[in-house]
Amino acid sequence: MTTVTVQGVSKHYGSLTALDGVDLEIGVGVTGLLGPNGAGKSTLLRCLATALGPDSGSIRVRGLDPAVPAQRTEVRRRIGYLPQNPGLYPNFTAYDLLDYVAVLKEVTDTRQRRAEVRRVLDEVELTDRAKTKVRKLSGGMRQRLGLAQALLGDPELLILDEPTVGLDPEQRMLFRALISRIGECRTVLLSTHQTEDVGALCERVVVMSGGRVVFEGSPRELAGVADGQVWLSESPPQGNTAYWRNADGLYRTVGQQPDGAEATRPSIEDGYLMLLGRAAIAEVVR
Amino acid sequence: MSEWHLDPELFEQYEQGVLNPSRVMAVEAHMSACATCRGRVPVDITWLTGNWSIVFDNIHAPQAGPVQRLLTRVGLPEHRFRLLTATPALRWSWLIATLSVVVLAVIAASLSAVGETGGASRLFLVLAPVLPVVAVSGAYGSGIDPMHEITGTTPSAGPALVLWRAISVIGAATALAGVAGLLLPGPGWYAAAWLLPALLLCTGTLALATAWSLQAAAAALGGLWLTGVSWVLGVRSEVFIPLVFGPIAQFVYLAAAAAAVAVLIRRRRHFDLGESR
Repeated sequence: MTTVTVQGVSKHYGSLTALDGVDLEIGVGVTGLLGPNGAGKSTLLRCLATALGPDSGSIRVRGLDPAVPAQRTEVRRRIGYLPQNPGLYPNFTAYDLLDYVAVLKEVTDTRQRRAEVRRVLDEVELTDRAKTKVRKLSGGMRQRLGLAQALLGDPELLILDEPTVGLDPEQRMLFRALISRIGECRTVLLSTHQTEDVGALCERVVVMSGGRVVFEGSPRELAGVADGQVWLSESPPQGNTAYWRNADGLYRTVGQQPDGAEATRPSIEDGYLMLLGRAAIAEVVR
Repeated sequence: MSEWHLDPELFEQYEQGVLNPSRVMAVEAHMSACATCRGRVPVDITWLTGNWSIVFDNIHAPQAGPVQRLLTRVGLPEHRFRLLTATPALRWSWLIATLSVVVLAVIAASLSAVGETGGASRLFLVLAPVLPVVAVSGAYGSGIDPMHEITGTTPSAGPALVLWRAISVIGAATALAGVAGLLLPGPGWYAAAWLLPALLLCTGTLALATAWSLQAAAAALGGLWLTGVSWVLGVRSEVFIPLVFGPIAQFVYLAAAAAAVAVLIRRRRHFDLGESR
């Protein structure tokens, strides 16, 4: 079932084109938005979260149009948003902060609000930190608190902008487990630079480049983009899309076959590199 | 672990709560060391969860202070209070800054009154209308509120939230300046002469903020006011008070404030993040 439909959405900041006719459909489960800096991921997420109005095109969240003020409020009742820099008030305790956001989310009955705060604290495993000030929480805990505020009101659509950035491997693993559990019954759209996040979490992946969607499919299909174009060789190749020296001392190449190289199985990262290489070429030709 | 366990009769009496306190202590001392007997105590999960929640909330939930209790008594809902106290301009740093300006203005006015009767309150009258504007500039906005983006994407976001926050900070700043005004030397009406200019500057700032950021609008109008009155003070010092705070001027402020409110109502949707400016 489709939760979000995006049709021909464009957004400009002065002469800079952040989104250039984006078309997209997103359903229940975890969808990863992958792309380099400046690809338009955050702008798209901000448009979906109603933090920004697109210049043209249409967005529908469960059929509701955020461009219409009354429907925008209804959309906001159905979404949870974790921005890239959530700016959680440092002097608030975890409980106070969630209580405040719950008020913003129209949970006005005190008893109901407290139950909701307890529920999300439990969901992100921060119950024992309820009385801790935000500034004293670790980076991972702060990120989980950010997720908790997004979960208040049990939203159908969760929009998470770079939720795993700055987390150490252990925290990242915890966070992934949390998001995959949440994504079992909700629509989760998360942006990331990390292809590992996509492989570990996402049923679907959308790759953006230059404000456009350049790929939509499963992580396996993204890896498949580089099928037959990933090579291992003992010496550095010439004139290919990308290569690097791996832990075994072999050169991994994405693109044309270097002399004496053997084909190897592509990863999501290989597909991503291959795709962005093509997109860059296409942009030059256009 | 002990080989001895509570006999059924003793256990039943414990469950029914009919044992005397010393025997209860003895039974509980045994149960704390005996998992088998502890396991025989029936647990009412619903009761336990309910009580745990009450204990948890009593420890962690924000407690109502004297200001909240007072405002609740006069009809402000608890959730509305929670919303307003998170307004950046209602944090202590802002309130202390506002209070400092007010105190300095009163001291300066009082000191000048010693040597120059009549001109004593000018400094206060010039500064007082700007105080609520400064407070308004701290009520809302991406540069001032670190959680602006989260706040702006909740169902409460939009013009109503901005206006609630603005009214609350205007109220706080006006109350401070109002008390200070009463302490001023000079005619009694001086204490209220700044109110309509303040109203104009606040409504004008909010109206202008439908096109600019709240901070830029406050800086523009506050700066305009200070520049304008300083200029009048420089060239027409002898008629400064009647010209800037006299009845005709007050009427102009009121009419302009009404016009600003009309603009504000018409363009209020621009306070919503989801609207293109």
